[in-house]
Amino acid sequence: MNTAGSFAPLDAATGQAIRLAMQRLWLTGQILPAGARVVVQHVFQSEEEKALEVIYAFPLPRDGGLRSFRIAGEGFEAHSELKETEAAVEVYERGIANGSLSALVRQYGDGLVNLTVGNIRPGETVTVYLEILCGVELNDGGFRFRFPFTLAPAYHSRARTAMTEPGEGEMELPVDEFADMILPRFREDASALQQVGFDLTTVTRLTLDEIGSPTHTILVKREDDRHANVALAIEHDVPNRDLVLDVAFKTIEPQVLAGIGKDGKGHFAAVVPSSCFGANTEAPRRVVILLDRSGSMKGAPLQQACKAIDACLGALSETDSFGLVAFDNEAQSFQPKLVSATREHRDQAHQFLMKVSARGGTELGLGFLEASRILDGSGDVFVVTDGQVFGTEKILELARRTRARLHCLGIGSASQDRFLALLARGTGGVSRFVTPSERMDLPAVDLFASIGRPVASGLTAVGKIQPAPPSHVFGGTPVLLFCSVDDIAGAEIELNWTGGRLSFPMVLNKIDIADTVWLLQGSRLITDWESKYPNTSALAPLEVRRENRVAARLLELSRAYRLASREMSLVTVISRPGDHAGELPETRVVPVGMAGKTRFSAYFGGLRIGLARPSVHADVLSASFVGSDIGEFSLAPIDRDAAGAQEVGFTGFLRANRPPSPPPDQQNPAADDILLDLAARIESDGGMPGVDEESRAIASVVALLAFLAEGHTVTEGAFRSHVAKLVKFLESLKGLTSKHQATIDAVVKLANKGDVPAGDWVNIACTAGDHWRKVETAL
Amino acid sequence: MNSPRTLAELSKESSIPARTIRFYIARGLLDGPVKAGRGAAYTNDHLARLEKIKKLQAEGKMLSEIAHDLAGNTPAETAAPSPWLQYEVGDDVTVMARGDVTPWRAKRIRAAVEAMASLLREPETNDTGRKYK
Repeated sequence: MNTAGSFAPLDAATGQAIRLAMQRLWLTGQILPAGARVVVQHVFQSEEEKALEVIYAFPLPRDGGLRSFRIAGEGFEAHSELKETEAAVEVYERGIANGSLSALVRQYGDGLVNLTVGNIRPGETVTVYLEILCGVELNDGGFRFRFPFTLAPAYHSRARTAMTEPGEGEMELPVDEFADMILPRFREDASALQQVGFDLTTVTRLTLDEIGSPTHTILVKREDDRHANVALAIEHDVPNRDLVLDVAFKTIEPQVLAGIGKDGKGHFAAVVPSSCFGANTEAPRRVVILLDRSGSMKGAPLQQACKAIDACLGALSETDSFGLVAFDNEAQSFQPKLVSATREHRDQAHQFLMKVSARGGTELGLGFLEASRILDGSGDVFVVTDGQVFGTEKILELARRTRARLHCLGIGSASQDRFLALLARGTGGVSRFVTPSERMDLPAVDLFASIGRPVASGLTAVGKIQPAPPSHVFGGTPVLLFCSVDDIAGAEIELNWTGGRLSFPMVLNKIDIADTVWLLQGSRLITDWESKYPNTSALAPLEVRRENRVAARLLELSRAYRLASREMSLVTVISRPGDHAGELPETRVVPVGMAGKTRFSAYFGGLRIGLARPSVHADVLSASFVGSDIGEFSLAPIDRDAAGAQEVGFTGFLRANRPPSPPPDQQNPAADDILLDLAARIESDGGMPGVDEESRAIASVVALLAFLAEGHTVTEGAFRSHVAKLVKFLESLKGLTSKHQATIDAVVKLANKGDVPAGDWVNIACTAGDHWRKVETAL
Repeated sequence: MNSPRTLAELSKESSIPARTIRFYIARGLLDGPVKAGRGAAYTNDHLARLEKIKKLQAEGKMLSEIAHDLAGNTPAETAAPSPWLQYEVGDDVTVMARGDVTPWRAKRIRAAVEAMASLLREPETNDTGRKYK
């Protein structure tokens, strides 16, 4: 691709050339079902008249780890060294003082990273190739890869924001908690910022079915059944959203990625679908739904979340008990204790949801405490949030102290995906994350169907599996295992759980992936330990940290896997003829675009009625600047509405399938919206409402056919719990006419096979008429 | 003592990382060294300025505010905090009004803003009252 001529972006408003410190961000590498190993190319070009120091801030993706970097330019190339962070900073500063080109990659809390390249000479172009390990979000039928091309602003009770000039805002985090980490400026319009793009390969053990992206136009080239190349279909894009790729397999079965590493050992990763473990148990559920009603959820996310919760409650029976908490800066409960899932309680919950409106900040910790109090013992918490928060390690610490399993349905950007994945994993739950351009209601219903009723409990693995497998397995979410063995010949994986056992052999892959698998294991282990390392501990003096158990473990893991962490950073210095010692470089921070559909005014310059602007607007500073107390209170992202949600976000599929669902149309509801309504109306006994037994029977038959027609069966699809309830209800019916009973029996038989007769059942289900005749005719 | 010091020494004395100090210089919060090149030097004034920045940060100020104050403008901290309301009366017009006024005054302001919004919603006319097409 020829990009040489496109390194001079223009300001759309003025037509003037913009002097960017970074021109290009390009992603290449390999994606496996166990994670990805990518190289991010950063091209820095100095337009300054003096030496330049560039700082680029980015978030690590889920289970992300920094491996190494290579820095290159005209006549030079160097590789990074991994050093203890204090030593790395010292090396970097010495290099800067000596006038040498120096580069430092340092990780901070929340998985934030500063890449700093100093002493780039006037007119010089320097490229940094940074190797990063990334986790993926697994589901039984495939996985989702997510990479951040930008950094989203997020809520922190002590963060401060300002609009520095129209369309550009900045955010500062408290120094005592985030030290010298520098955040970028956030641009409302990212079109003039650095070019971004990608060219990736996917390698799997199972036959590929689909590869798609809800965020970018992609070009997919299949090399064979198991390998494909995925590239950006246009020349380049703008850094205003994450890259998300969905990979689906043709079959659902375990797959092992194994090989012999450079150390001579066998390294493997195994992905074991939940369907290998069995079916959901029928035990009564104890679940609290925790709804984020912070300002950043305003509009479609909150509306969809409320509708989804109504539908989720429809999946419960009277033997189940539930609670409902909405939180922002404070937590509000629908009932002080768990209540049984009767129609009356569900109606009350619906009324509670009707009154929920978006406001305030995202004090997740408060929400957890309230949910835990209501649960009053073991059980599950289902969190629906955008998780847009900084200072996540503190929240994780709090969440681990509760005895509840947290299951997270998130909406937003990659950094929050990392946090919510840790939150769920750290408490024994599972998580799903959708992009702002996707609906969140169906994934919520889908996730809810699996929680509270694990398909396997007490899971253990034989051998040196690290990290340890989760003790519970939930429907739809596979188990990912990493292991190293001295001799791979005859080696097999053995899993045991209450009432079950599974084993399968390790088969070497044709492509050498052993080192990648080993690095992914290291990255995952480091991420887990990083999440147990609050900033207050991580920023303590070295002599204090030497006594810290987490710091010691991070050092050990960093050294073993040669991966960076907060304790170890990557650095290099290149001495060249003509270096001017003592020359002070001009420091520039690379700006980023606002992530996804987050509206600029939600963080910078937005106001809430009754509260003042917490930001400094250059031209109104002396008149309207307000003090810290008010500033803190109104820092929450406050304004992402449905209209805004459609402003940004381009989606395209070439050979990709599943385009993201459009926002619900109130006038012409889509099939999914009708199904959500049907799901919410299901009675506790599993049938649809009606004036008598016969009307309930036919309403339930038609509703069941509507779910089946849209691909939801007893075992598959987001509404599988609802389908199962309807089937059970219909099977229990007695006293109907023999003709109607025969119709019901035939429909139930079809449902158990996942079949459905032809018919517009979704629309029939929401209209009046003689449905018995329609069903009989169709059968 | 006003003996010149290197950036590394200034960093150590102030407990502020050298990279942050360079960032402050680039943002205009701190003057550059008194001497450029190999003998670049920083004085007690630099140290004092860094201490002041730290103090203001601890008070909850942003760097942009601190830069504004240190540049000799009206110190932001002397302005009493006051809530302001923002009314978006049109896609291209925003009205800001103080929020800590009396209820009677607030009502008047609200009415005026609503009148303005209503006026702006009407089809645009030229000076002769003819509607633009």
